[in-house]
Amino acid sequence: MKHLRPLNKKAVQIEQAQVEHARMEQAGSMLEEDVVALQQQPRPHVPMGCSLAFSPGWEVDAGGGTAGLCQPVERDIYDCYVTCFWPVQVPDHVNYSPDWASNCAVATKDWRNLDLVFP
Amino acid sequence: MKILRTVLAVCLSLLPLQAQAGIMYLGGYPNVLILFDETSGTVTKRVPLASGLPTALRESVDRKKIYVSTITTSGMETYDVATGKVTDSFSLNTPTLRYRIYGGVPDPTGRYFYTVAQRIDKEIDRYKISKPQYTVIDLKLKKVIRAVDVATEDDTPGAAYRSAYAISPDGKFFYIFRDKVIVVSTAELKAIERFDLSKPEISGFENVNFGGGVEAIRNPGQYISLFNAADPYVHNKVFGIARFDLASRQFNFVPIGPAPSTMAGLQVTPDGKEGYTVVTNGTLGNKRCEFWRFDLGTNKVLDKAEFPCRSRFQLGMSGDGSKLYIYGASFDIEVYDAKTLKLEKTWDIGNDATMAGLIVSQ
Repeated sequence: MKHLRPLNKKAVQIEQAQVEHARMEQAGSMLEEDVVALQQQPRPHVPMGCSLAFSPGWEVDAGGGTAGLCQPVERDIYDCYVTCFWPVQVPDHVNYSPDWASNCAVATKDWRNLDLVFP
Repeated sequence: MKILRTVLAVCLSLLPLQAQAGIMYLGGYPNVLILFDETSGTVTKRVPLASGLPTALRESVDRKKIYVSTITTSGMETYDVATGKVTDSFSLNTPTLRYRIYGGVPDPTGRYFYTVAQRIDKEIDRYKISKPQYTVIDLKLKKVIRAVDVATEDDTPGAAYRSAYAISPDGKFFYIFRDKVIVVSTAELKAIERFDLSKPEISGFENVNFGGGVEAIRNPGQYISLFNAADPYVHNKVFGIARFDLASRQFNFVPIGPAPSTMAGLQVTPDGKEGYTVVTNGTLGNKRCEFWRFDLGTNKVLDKAEFPCRSRFQLGMSGDGSKLYIYGASFDIEVYDAKTLKLEKTWDIGNDATMAGLIVSQ
């Protein structure tokens, strides 16, 4: 890196991050922004995003069965749509599909009125 | 005749207050505030929310207003209980700036709203996501006026999502109840004290999330709820009732027994004498739910009753404390008698309820 110089703001930030990284390594402190395994202690800063929701889909619950799912499963549609669980199976209310529920106030009764959404 | 007219006028002037008693407020999909009459068991009104889907409800200290946080546009709506109208509505999001708000609490003056939020800036080549921040929203200026990063030791993933909030009567201290109790100075937005009491794990990761009014704060100066505590050596968890004096930051914790798997928060009767919760043991197919009734004077469990619970639910209580409500994750509310702990009836509210919680006007 010593032969490169930053030209834009992002590159300056990368260089500063490296300096900070080296300083913290010397000081022996835990790296806040480094890549760490999720089970390490202290816990890392987990970035926001639905891709880290590892809960399984509607087909099975965390135990591999169906007893832990909402009964019927349509009870779960809207709360998952809002709070980013099972992101593959339902649209994303916050970013892309804010009106997906506008035709259907009760998912259990009127799920047939819900639109298909193609990413 | 004159006396009769005077008496009639006095009675009529009281009517609006009486009409509001026993009205439940819930958030409904896709973007409504539902008013439900406890007496008749019917929806009396659906108030459309311009800023989107409600995710948190919070009463003002004087109970005259309800503050609704919405997720679609990170908005705030103010509903006036007496007039039945939304008096204020605004969104914090702009084309290049978004906030993720997880409930919150208004200050006693009603001018500021304290919450924990994350800020997302859309920059020219990337999104920049902040750490969770103690955030102050000015309800008059309709914008965020102050935000300070949560301390590193308090930055636990998902904590903001599952926290309950309270504020001291003088507005100086902002309380966050999560895996520990954090007291934040509203002047500096920095944590000044931490207590090693945690909110119990809740069934299905909801309930007190989004700062919903699951636990009705009957006395503005005091927060009573169930908490878990663990000893520092064996880490044996026990649960108990803690009473926080919000003005003095003092608390009294009375342990009751070993901590169950999950507990649904504490609903306190209007007279403050009894409290109710739902305890679940086991998971998935082995999950069993029970109502527990507490005597808050002696801090003892008086009664338990098993009931068939849904996978995700929220616990509420009627305004007079005589009924318990199991709602959430769909359109129905199961009504249980608080004394017998038996199912009485089921109401259909006509909309799926959001996780904003439930507020009952009194």
